Amino acid sequence: MKTYHDIAADGGSDVIGQVAEQMARLQDRLAQVDHVVAVMSGKGGVGKSTVTAVLSEALTALEYRIGVVDADINGPSMARMTGVRRHTPIPDGGGMQPAVSATGVKVMSMDLFLPQDATAVLWHAPTQNHAYTWRPMVEMAALRELIADTAWGTLDIMLADLPPGSDRLPNLADLVPDLSGAVVVTGPTAVSQMVVARSITAATQVADVPLIGIVENMATYRCPSCGHQERFLAPASGGESLGEAHGIPFLGRIPFDPRLALAADDGEPFLARHADSPAGHAIMALAARIQHYLYQ
Amino acid sequence: MALRETHGPFEGTMSIVYHCLGCGYSMAMLTNRMETQMVRSLGVKIGGQTRAASPMEMLRSNLQGKREEIPAPGQAGAASKCPFTGVVVEAFNSGSMQWTDEAKARIERIPEFVRPMVQRSAEDYARQHGHDLVDGAVMDAMRGQAGRQDSGGH
Ligand SMILES: Nc1ncnc2c1ncn2[C@@H]1O[C@H](COP(=O)(O)OP(=O)(O)OP(=O)(O)O)[C@@H](O)[C@H]1O
Ligand SMILES: [Mg+2]
Repeated sequence: MKTYHDIAADGGSDVIGQVAEQMARLQDRLAQVDHVVAVMSGKGGVGKSTVTAVLSEALTALEYRIGVVDADINGPSMARMTGVRRHTPIPDGGGMQPAVSATGVKVMSMDLFLPQDATAVLWHAPTQNHAYTWRPMVEMAALRELIADTAWGTLDIMLADLPPGSDRLPNLADLVPDLSGAVVVTGPTAVSQMVVARSITAATQVADVPLIGIVENMATYRCPSCGHQERFLAPASGGESLGEAHGIPFLGRIPFDPRLALAADDGEPFLARHADSPAGHAIMALAARIQHYLYQ
Repeated sequence: MALRETHGPFEGTMSIVYHCLGCGYSMAMLTNRMETQMVRSLGVKIGGQTRAASPMEMLRSNLQGKREEIPAPGQAGAASKCPFTGVVVEAFNSGSMQWTDEAKARIERIPEFVRPMVQRSAEDYARQHGHDLVDGAVMDAMRGQAGRQDSGGH
């Protein structure tokens, strides 16, 4: 009886060749994309997806061709925030057709593959027990396919909305070795900044990704009746000191604005209606900083 | 070498036994649940990719509960969720032979799930013994040999 140890190499499957072919497909696709920018945060719920959505709108207003890949495989929200959930991707030529938002942003997300709001992202497996042994690999392969197998066409900038935590950024950096950089989103609380600080360390030490800068979201609140503006929680700007501590530029703060949350919920463009608001100005200023970073 | 039998897939484990009709030498390919799933996660095919991958093939074939409008990738079978089935299906399908009506009728009586395996073994046996068609005599002879092997013990 021939045993496992008698099998030479991989028995003729050429697994390495198949993986190389996958990476070549990815490289071919990325050859048409000028910059890939990740939006990340160690902390959940600080507004990564909201920032990605409004940033994509702002950069489109600056006449860039923008794509958004939803790298949050299990908690995708980009399709909803950009108002494209009705689009179902179908294969067309060499790739799946992305959704296109009202402002012309191309979007690809796991959400577009799922039939219902509450459908969980589950993968076929003999059993879901011990899924920890393979699930990260499936998620990585899914992310690769979302980027490589979408018919993006030519893009100036691809934004990647990451899930909370610090483990997806190295995955993305493996897939996109010349990642232009990452925008770090933090909230106003000390807890948020502590968690974000860890993810900054991971990003620079493990993933070796250049950090474009820090955005502090939901830090200030403006009274809709009298216009008085004040900080929400922390008395000092945590985002700014976080940047200083890590030698990363502070890109600005986006105030809390309920209309921003509503626009995200309804998938409506925010800037189209509220560009002339403190939040609108802050978002445009952020887009300009990123533009400057990418194009000097 | 002829494909002799397969067990499973059962909860991700499968064994495929090949044997030599001349000397009875057997070789088994065993997969376990974790290996199968890890290979599946890579989006590669065991036995080699025989056609160009279609877009988002891993995602479309492995995602549970996806939108109905999204077509499954490639042809049925070719895009099986299991990375191993391609080699097995190929082994079952390679080179078919003429069958007499009597032999056909006999194979029809065999339970469906083992039929392809027996069919393939009969054809291999016939080929090995210089026959260009499968008839009742070939099937009898094959049964006799299988019986001898089984009683030979392991
Ligand atoms: N500046 C803001 N003003 C008002 N609401 C906001 C603002 N930023 C984000 N929100 C709201 O806060 C909630 C969380 O935001 P979002 O989903 O963008 O966070 P996230 O960091 O992507 O979360 P997750 O970690 O789950 O991916 C959303 O309901 C969003 O609409
Ligand atoms: Mg999010």
